[in-house]
Amino acid sequence: MTHFVCLNCGFSASEKDLDGIATCPECNVDLQPERPRRKDDSHTATITAPLGSQRCKPVFTGSAGEFFRIWIVNTFLTILTLGLYAPWAKVRERRFFYQHTVMDGQPFDYTAHPVALLRGYLIVGGGILLYYLAEAYNPLYSLMVFGIFSLVLPFLIYKSLRFFARHSVYRNIPFHFRGTLGESYKTYLLYPMLIPFTFGLIIPYWAFQRKKYFFGNIGFGTTANIFQGSAREFYKLYGLVVVLLVVIIFFSIPILMSFATMIPAPEAGIFNAGMIFFILSIYFTTLVVSTFVQQYIYAWTTNYCLGHSELGNIRFQSTLKAKQLFWIRITNILAIIFSVGLLIPWAKVRRTRYIIDNLTVIAGQGLDEFTAGVRPDESAYGDVATDFFDIDIGL
Amino acid sequence: MIEFTGVYFDGKTSRAYAVSVVFDGRTLHIRGVEGDYPALDIPLEDCTITPPLGNTMRSIQLPGGAQCQTSDTAAVSALERLTGQNRGMGFVHRLENRWKTAVGALAGLVLCVWVFVTYGIPFLAEKIAYSVPPELAEQMSRQAIEMLDRRFLKPSELDPGKTEKLQEEFQHLHSEIDPDSDYRLEFRKSPYIGPNAFALPSGLIIMTDELVDLADSNRELLAILAHETAHVKKRHGLRSIIQNSGVFLLVSALAGDITSITSTAASLPTLLARSGYSRKFETEADTVAALYMIRKGWGTGPFQAILLRITRDMADYPGESLLSSHPLTNQRVQHLRDIEASMPSGEAAE
Ligand SMILES: [Zn+2]
Repeated sequence: MTHFVCLNCGFSASEKDLDGIATCPECNVDLQPERPRRKDDSHTATITAPLGSQRCKPVFTGSAGEFFRIWIVNTFLTILTLGLYAPWAKVRERRFFYQHTVMDGQPFDYTAHPVALLRGYLIVGGGILLYYLAEAYNPLYSLMVFGIFSLVLPFLIYKSLRFFARHSVYRNIPFHFRGTLGESYKTYLLYPMLIPFTFGLIIPYWAFQRKKYFFGNIGFGTTANIFQGSAREFYKLYGLVVVLLVVIIFFSIPILMSFATMIPAPEAGIFNAGMIFFILSIYFTTLVVSTFVQQYIYAWTTNYCLGHSELGNIRFQSTLKAKQLFWIRITNILAIIFSVGLLIPWAKVRRTRYIIDNLTVIAGQGLDEFTAGVRPDESAYGDVATDFFDIDIGL
Repeated sequence: MIEFTGVYFDGKTSRAYAVSVVFDGRTLHIRGVEGDYPALDIPLEDCTITPPLGNTMRSIQLPGGAQCQTSDTAAVSALERLTGQNRGMGFVHRLENRWKTAVGALAGLVLCVWVFVTYGIPFLAEKIAYSVPPELAEQMSRQAIEMLDRRFLKPSELDPGKTEKLQEEFQHLHSEIDPDSDYRLEFRKSPYIGPNAFALPSGLIIMTDELVDLADSNRELLAILAHETAHVKKRHGLRSIIQNSGVFLLVSALAGDITSITSTAASLPTLLARSGYSRKFETEADTVAALYMIRKGWGTGPFQAILLRITRDMADYPGESLLSSHPLTNQRVQHLRDIEASMPSGEAAE
């Protein structure tokens, strides 16, 4: 018996079930007869692995030494040109990470032109200068500039995502981002404004909406990604994080207190060695705990969002572990501090390799069937802004 | 004749076609390896070659949005040389590709940062500080003194009769050292800071009751006031704020986007640079004060005496470390003695 599949969404059904219908019920695209199945892949269709699926693991082929040389030369040129070369350095760094991410024998590519970024750097740099000048003159003005900035931010994020997607290319087909400006304002202005009124209860929902804005609107060629995550899972995650934090604080306070009492009472003011030790241990504990929580949220969110994404007939599986990411982050920080920054390239390559190594792509029909859409040009200033403020936009 | 194999993408679908490419000196002949698609003959001058990077694959953009990728970097580099494309990025690539040049870039980077921190930032800060309008300096100073009054300072409890003479002598002093600016001297009680004095950019000098009580004579206090006046005249306050933010910006720019790490690690170099800068300014202000004292015929003796007494007294005050960034007292006293010793004796006696 022949199976029919939709090349667009991966919908699959047997000839008998279809009962004469020749178009996909979801996409309205003509169904195609399925390719002969491979022997080792003969299990029946499940939601995670459509019929005839191939598992393919992207690999990261870059090495730390190669990136160190690129990084040091470009940093030197940036300083030498008083920052004017920065967009070129940025593009080279991104291209290094994209081109060394190889999937199914083909690398990704980043095609943004540095001049487009330079324009963005100048506009955003001017805005930041304005902010600092206003702050020096009167903190009230800087509050106003901050207000204007939060009004503009959703627009910048929207622009940034479009630019980022448009210039991310695989097999000579660019990605695209179809999110609307209105959605961006809802996600990045309305929800954060509601936090105080909902006593923070909206925070998990907000986190969900941010991910939904990215994963629900990204696409490759003409194929849109379908994101099927639910806000409920984000509430579970943040609930778990809160419980975790309460437990950690509950256990660490008595330990810290005992440290404080072990040290002779303050005599010569508050700046004695005991107090410094006490403050340092609080600082260190906070650093470790917050890093772990960050990595835990990052690992879970990435795994969840990729696991609930469907790009045409492609599915993703990400198996990041919070413990591993935490270990990588902590050792990276130590390595960077003790090498006076020289190990920054090694740290970046190491983390990227771990993340890529944990990604599996399950392709229903191979990776040959995607088609390109129209290619609108996008301006870069949004991209620069989100880059500068290190705004979390997903992946 | 240049020949290589690669992969062709037509830019319409994601399908990869294995191709062989032959360049005859003018035109690229691209032929599909399996089947007769694609079959293209494209003049080299219509192609755009993507700049080289590390040991990644090379790609050639063809007219109409198609692309040809290959791992044969040597062949593409040869084509690149023929078209004359990517001269700049090709140079950067050659720098990046060798350890020798990379280490050279590292040395150059360290040198640049050193030059910038020791000469560039102080130079720029000075230029900026002198172009700050007086109204802005006034406003910043008012905010600073309001904050200090709330947190660390209390109204002075000195007998006004005791300070009247000092105010008078201070008028003479600042009109001799810096005739063009306005100065004001105010007193505050501060059990927290202890015997100390500081100057704000607007020309407001604050002296603590504790310092006045500690001094044996007004001459000692005038030495301190000469030092503070020099800080205002040379705009040390503004310059150090600008310099410190300059170093912080530089470090953050160098460390790039690992923000969580820089916020921790950036504070250390900033702190180091700050103490280096402030030491320079203190020495400069000490020199001005010493020269003034010598010119007046008082010698630096009173200045040395009050400095030593402040240091002895300071240990009792907890907040001292907040405001003071002065170099070690012994070094300062030695510096004052050196200045006096280098003066011709006739001038000192004048
Ligand atoms: Zn001073």
